[in-house]
Amino acid sequence: MNVRVLIVDTKAERSQALDQALREAGFDVLMTVSQDDDLYAVMKRLKPDAVIIDTSLPSRDTLEHLGQLGKRYPKPMIMLAQEETPELTREATQAGVSAYVVDHLQPALVRSMVNVAISSFESHHALKSELNRTRETITQRRTIDRAKTTLMERRSMSEDAAYQYLRKIAMDRRLSMYELARDLLKAIEKGD
Amino acid sequence: MNNDEVITNAERLPPEQPQLSIGMLPLSDAAPLVVAVHNGFFEREGLEVTLSVEASWANIRDKMQLGSLDAAQMLALMPLASSLGLDGRKTAILSAMTLNLNGNAITVSNDVYQQMLALAPTQAHDSTTTAAALSQIIKARQQQGLEPLRFATVYTFSSHRYLLRYWLASAGIDPDRDLDLRVVPPPQMAAQLEAGQIDGYCVGDPWNTMAAKRTSGVVLASSENIWQNGQEKVLGVREEWVKTHPDTHRALLRALIQACAWLDADIEHRRIAASLLVDGGYLDVPPHIVEETLVANGLEHGVLFHRYSANFPWRSHTLWFATQMARWGHIKDTAIVHDAVLRCTRPDLYRQAADDLGLASPDEDMKSEGTHAAPWTLPTTKGDLFMGPDLFLDGAQFDPYHLEEHLPSQRS
Repeated sequence: MNVRVLIVDTKAERSQALDQALREAGFDVLMTVSQDDDLYAVMKRLKPDAVIIDTSLPSRDTLEHLGQLGKRYPKPMIMLAQEETPELTREATQAGVSAYVVDHLQPALVRSMVNVAISSFESHHALKSELNRTRETITQRRTIDRAKTTLMERRSMSEDAAYQYLRKIAMDRRLSMYELARDLLKAIEKGD
Repeated sequence: MNNDEVITNAERLPPEQPQLSIGMLPLSDAAPLVVAVHNGFFEREGLEVTLSVEASWANIRDKMQLGSLDAAQMLALMPLASSLGLDGRKTAILSAMTLNLNGNAITVSNDVYQQMLALAPTQAHDSTTTAAALSQIIKARQQQGLEPLRFATVYTFSSHRYLLRYWLASAGIDPDRDLDLRVVPPPQMAAQLEAGQIDGYCVGDPWNTMAAKRTSGVVLASSENIWQNGQEKVLGVREEWVKTHPDTHRALLRALIQACAWLDADIEHRRIAASLLVDGGYLDVPPHIVEETLVANGLEHGVLFHRYSANFPWRSHTLWFATQMARWGHIKDTAIVHDAVLRCTRPDLYRQAADDLGLASPDEDMKSEGTHAAPWTLPTTKGDLFMGPDLFLDGAQFDPYHLEEHLPSQRS
């Protein structure tokens, strides 16, 4: 019989990817619930073998209580006896994954399930930071452009001269182009 | 801020590890940690602390057991539970300092309160008998064959759980038989009460005050009504870490004792702490509510950070909680309790840090509970200490030197 997994997550995009990845690895995904769902009712009804939950959700403490209630509820991964679990738990924590598993689940299956969850969370995270980086770059470029045009307008500089001017002051003051552009725009705003 | 408050009379050794990562939960009583960071108490002890705001007590436990946090704000029972192997992976965690006393309250839904008023109006109006009024409802519901009421606390190994049980039992309610007990994360308590998913809860601030403001429930008893000046949060560290970093731990204690003293020195300091909690991004709750949680009860009631020798880690406090765990069958092997408490509650380490600061500490490691109805004086070799009342709501007395009287008889 396949391992029946419940996902507790509030990020739909990520949990869909995780759902698919788990299925491809041979697990049965029962459903994904959000933290607003009544976990007591869900756990009683579905009796999952394992739960994967986003570490940043406070509902972990509810799963802890269920784990203390009796044998049929999954226990926190850190309790597993295998020697390698601290390392795996550490990796999972870093990726933002917490796992709960019933006692009798085979260690190899637990490892495989947690690894799938880790890579799923990490690729989602990587995607997000990629987006953030792109956004940051765009903001920075825009700020530098604005500083440049301001200089062109106020000092009747050519575009190239404005750029060289910014670059020289930035180097003199040991600031990045963006930092200087930002400070310059702030000073001009105050002056107005 | 007055820098003159810092007393430097002892020869101090520099911390072995100046950079520390300390875990906390988004709660009003995380104030000592936040104040120590923002008002320079850590810095003056040579510590560079990063606070890690965690979403759950389970996260704190995992990260402490895995070693990815150096220290953490913990519920009073967590070091014992971890050391006994009841919570997560068996790991020796100790506490040499209490961060605060009091601060929790029991709330029921408006619906339950209306029923209490209808069935037992006199009892429901008097804060000492609200549990008795609740027991009337529970009986009535049982006669009608209705589902048991659902009550929530915040973690399995929490003071909230045992204060709630104590309060219920004082009115003859059997928490395990008569109620459906759950754990719900504090930020969700009020919403679940409003949605009818739970009927009552015991939680700390700001979540208590939040719910009261939303008028989603009625407060029946504060932790002070159940046990006056009982222990709440502690500073937890791994025993292994303290062995290799004794001076870092000592510096950490000094910084936090001073932060706690500052918090209780002036009501204005409480206001500053409230804005640090909110503006620093530690607590995502409206500022006026956080301020109310730290200011409304003054400096003698409600959450206390230093008054009444609050920071001293009384072994009798841990032992009281341990006997409550044993009472409900949550500790089966009571023979090991005493030694476990000796190991995980460390007044000796507290005294060293207090000595460094020129502060007096109790000479004894334990005191009786339930025997002082008013503030009292505890003489010590370094001067008198001003202590708070410590009564239980049922008038019980706890004598930690005769533990056997408070433990259920050993099962063979």
